[in-house]
Amino acid sequence: MTAVLPSRRLLLKAAGISCTAALLPLSACATSSPAQQKGVTQLRFMQNKPEVVAYFNQVIKDFEALNPDIHVVQDFNEGNFVPSLVRNDPPDVVTRGFAQATADFTRKGVFADLSDLPSAATIDPKVQALVNSWGQYKGETSAIPFSLAGAGVIYNRDIFAQNGVAVPTTWDEFLAACEIFGAAGITPIYGTFKDTWTLQQGAFDYVTGGTVDVEDFFARLYAEGADIREDAPESFSSNFGPALPKILQLTAFTQTGASSKNYADGNAAFGRGQAAMYLQGPWALSELVKANKNIQLGTFPLPATNNPADTKARVNVDMALSITRNTPNRAAAERFVNYLLEPSVVNTFNEKNAAFSPLMNAPAVGNPQISGLAAYVAEGRYYQGAGTYFPPSVPLGNYIQSFVYNRNAGQFLRDLDAEWRRVAERTAV
Amino acid sequence: MTASTAQPHSASAANDRRQAPMRGPLVRRSSREGFKVNWWLTALMLVASLTILLPLYFTVAMALKSADQIGTGTGLAWPLPMNWNNFAEAYVATNFPKAFLSTAFVTVFSVLGALASSSLVAYAIVRNWHRKFFRGSFVYLLSAMFIPFPVIILPLIKQTALLGLDNPGGVIFLHVLGGISFNTLLYIAFVRSIPVELEESARMDGATTWQVFRKIIFPLLAPMNATVGIFAFLGSWNDFLLPQMMIADPALQTLPVVQMLFQGEFNTDYSLAFASYLMAMAPTLVVYILAQRWVLSGVMRGAVK
Repeated sequence: MTAVLPSRRLLLKAAGISCTAALLPLSACATSSPAQQKGVTQLRFMQNKPEVVAYFNQVIKDFEALNPDIHVVQDFNEGNFVPSLVRNDPPDVVTRGFAQATADFTRKGVFADLSDLPSAATIDPKVQALVNSWGQYKGETSAIPFSLAGAGVIYNRDIFAQNGVAVPTTWDEFLAACEIFGAAGITPIYGTFKDTWTLQQGAFDYVTGGTVDVEDFFARLYAEGADIREDAPESFSSNFGPALPKILQLTAFTQTGASSKNYADGNAAFGRGQAAMYLQGPWALSELVKANKNIQLGTFPLPATNNPADTKARVNVDMALSITRNTPNRAAAERFVNYLLEPSVVNTFNEKNAAFSPLMNAPAVGNPQISGLAAYVAEGRYYQGAGTYFPPSVPLGNYIQSFVYNRNAGQFLRDLDAEWRRVAERTAV
Repeated sequence: MTASTAQPHSASAANDRRQAPMRGPLVRRSSREGFKVNWWLTALMLVASLTILLPLYFTVAMALKSADQIGTGTGLAWPLPMNWNNFAEAYVATNFPKAFLSTAFVTVFSVLGALASSSLVAYAIVRNWHRKFFRGSFVYLLSAMFIPFPVIILPLIKQTALLGLDNPGGVIFLHVLGGISFNTLLYIAFVRSIPVELEESARMDGATTWQVFRKIIFPLLAPMNATVGIFAFLGSWNDFLLPQMMIADPALQTLPVVQMLFQGEFNTDYSLAFASYLMAMAPTLVVYILAQRWVLSGVMRGAVK
């Protein structure tokens, strides 16, 4: 045995050497393959919204005309981001929607510090705080917000006017408006419960966002970790109880058969004027207009209490710009990010996509579809949806759906606490 | 699926033909009655064929709709006027020729690779079955079928990146590799049924092992080649996950991945998406229509072995 061992090791070594020798030319050829013109830096720009590829193509064209030494390649295949990290060859500039999943990358230091960029100083600190609230790497600015989506109750202006209903500012006014529509034979709210995320984004986030200090609650909950008990002051059971009956009150005003309708059904039906209100974000607006060119839409934040001062809008940072930490093209990437954050680029983008510009002195919002949220966004009266704080491994939407169907609030809260504990135990380091 | 609906039909036709001469001399009936149609079965097949035709109808109708025709009606109505422009728009948006070439490149070499590698392996294993090493390698290859692909995808990406294979070439490599266990299994069953005597006669004439394989065995494998080729073609042409995660350069991306362009998180451009799906489907459809005979015989052979 002892006599055989060295020769076997030698054999392995020889095999290893011959293998690497055979593969060297392969890898060498791969690294030199990108067609690099002399003096032109190639930037890879991965963005997370396939529907705006055309807009960014135009932006890139303009940018390249001003910066002939940089060539930008746009990539919308977000599924390639994690593999690119595994390959240690991530895109230079990345946009991502900001929530739990992206924060994971941020906290691990995948993105570079952008606090020194001149454009970082032009961002509304309130919006920057939303990004930072998800967690930072050594106090750095890992992402600069590019687009802020404000969500509330989308309403059909014509139906409101025909029934003499004004935009409600309190919970009681909201219920009264629903009663009026119901009495007039109009579906007050169009429900699409088959897609559980619509329940989560709509009824759940809006009601909890208006009644609970969501950011503070989750900060305390995360701090508690896996030790969470149902009777602890940080638990769901102790905080979300008062909000739940309101969710049921609200979903009671949806059409019969809401449980068999999905998001696409809802867009088509609401677009045809089959309901007065629709709990959806600005992403649905273009779909509604697609279904009916002449529809007059507006949005108001759901008043979840009887004090109008409590009313807040749900927002999410739909796109935030980051530069990956180990990019070899840092300088060029910074120039591109600065260009993207020039008022003409970022404001035009948000105007076109029914979103809010994150710039400090952004122009007033002219789009009547979202102007009802403008004052709230400008004053910083907003929250990020409670649902977005959940790790993806908690099937929150399904729990909300079963709560809406069997109306057992205690069970729902116990389930959430148990799920949270389960995931916290698993991910605890 | 198309194959499975057509298969019983051809089988029943063959049945009729076999019975016809038997009945012929006994009862002299007119030729029209000789081909007795089983109306119940035909009706059943017609209904079954709807499972293919109806979705296909929706695809074509959807591809021809304009934005405001999509949300209206039951979806069954044929769009008037037809919006042929969708195809042009989808063609430009996906940069169709480039993505098509990339997909075709991946598919062609995946198929060729699957045919060449698996048939050689199967031949070697079957003819050396008495040796432990070859029996062991058969089990080794088969054991790969028990590893779920998503489990190993990230390590694979790391590995291929180190080897400079984060491109369509790497996708081809993994397609061939991924199919080798199943394809070898198919081939082995088939090679076993080829009598060794055929080879021995060639050996007598002085043929080398390679010549025996190339001139005798490989041509005899034709039906199994068709089966493996079809599986490899479909798997490779329609693959989404592997190209999405493996190909680093977006300019070399394949059609199924590029078509994601039409599906945002909350918005789907149905008419452009379906126009683009139809264009991507076209080659498969053409190949099927041209090669229908081999496809059918190939599928049946795979089923029996």
